Amino acid sequence: MTPEVAAILVDGLKFLGAGLAMIGTLGAGLGIGILGSGAMQGIARNPDAAGTIQINMILAIAFAEAVAIYALVVAILILFV
Amino acid sequence: MEHTEDKPTSNRFGFHRWLVIVLLVGNIFAVSAISPVLPAVSIAPEHLSGPYQLPLVGEIYLTNTIVNTLLADLILLIFALLVYRGTRGGTMILEGLAGVMEMLIDAIHSLTESTAGRWARQIFPWVATIILLVLVVNLSKLFPGVESIGILHEVHGEEEGYPTQTLFSLGDLEVTTILPDEPAGVPEEMGEVGEAGAEEAHGYGVIPFIRPASTDLNFTAGLALVSVVVTQIIGLRALGLGYLSKFFDFGGFVNLWRRPKIGAFDLIFPFLDILVGLLELVAEIAKIISFSFRLFGVMFAGTILLFFIGTLVPVFAQTGILLFELMIGPIQALIFGMLTLIFMTIATQGHGDHEEEGAAAH
Repeated sequence: MTPEVAAILVDGLKFLGAGLAMIGTLGAGLGIGILGSGAMQGIARNPDAAGTIQINMILAIAFAEAVAIYALVVAILILFV
Repeated sequence: MEHTEDKPTSNRFGFHRWLVIVLLVGNIFAVSAISPVLPAVSIAPEHLSGPYQLPLVGEIYLTNTIVNTLLADLILLIFALLVYRGTRGGTMILEGLAGVMEMLIDAIHSLTESTAGRWARQIFPWVATIILLVLVVNLSKLFPGVESIGILHEVHGEEEGYPTQTLFSLGDLEVTTILPDEPAGVPEEMGEVGEAGAEEAHGYGVIPFIRPASTDLNFTAGLALVSVVVTQIIGLRALGLGYLSKFFDFGGFVNLWRRPKIGAFDLIFPFLDILVGLLELVAEIAKIISFSFRLFGVMFAGTILLFFIGTLVPVFAQTGILLFELMIGPIQALIFGMLTLIFMTIATQGHGDHEEEGAAAH
């Protein structure tokens, strides 16, 4: 295998690895959806508590999103480092 | 008055719509004159000036994120000075920027008091500093010129360099742009040539003068370390050496000794307590990693998104991304601060008293 073919192979595998790493964002999407659904039901039952529910929901969404961001950081590291 | 309700809607935006239209047309012309270039994305911050020898620290470089941190410190000091000037007159209602700062500090203080209770006085400085610093640093990403104006440097090795074109010169300094190669994509960048007449053997790249500090893993990891270490210190101060019993929990064995009768199941629980304590220790270390990577990942991904969208659709598409970043920046600052607050509050509470925490009462 010549060095040029090896270089192209490494580049291609890098792209493949970055794409596979982003599969981890599935869990975050599901989690945020469940959070939103719970918040909607809470607000529907008790519209006066909408402010409190909203703030807590945003806090919990940041937690769930952080896991997706770990996956993104891994993908960026694969691509650019 | 009736005439305020009958204001004709055609005049509602007034002056601003002309500004937007002028900027849009200017954008189209600028993009067709000089096409945008995709910059080289580097996770590590770039050096602006060479190594300095400091007595304790050793050898450090001046990076563009350090410049941004210093600017953020300057801005916060100016705000503090404005508030000081405002409160010196003795008025009850502060106006202008001082009023905005008062609102912000009041919101953070009420959040801290409702969560931390007695320890709010010690916890509040840390939480407020983290929130304000990360807020200023995140919002500094939105200013024009922050990651686009910088120094040209020759690109060696296997990175791509681009040819340059001099736009105009201010006296000694030539203002230069990098141009796209044929196959490459393009965002708009202007660089200032440090020394005129550099021999161009390779292409050139641009090192920005200012890069938002939260896109630097050094800044976020340092902040996360500070947050977690101060949490331990506050826990030790609140509970004394009993704080360590959260991690090394031999209380189960002591209780076992005192019991008159020991059943078969009673032997398992002390071991479980020790395991749970060790897991808590691991969780503390995981908090450092989680804090630093959350902030770094959000901000750095926003930067890359801005670059790529600016390359693909140079006209007006970056505006949507900038709006998104405007929302995400303060949210991430608030998340960092609130998590620090919650962990510090948990550190001040022993095993026995689990009080009600109202973590969201504004």
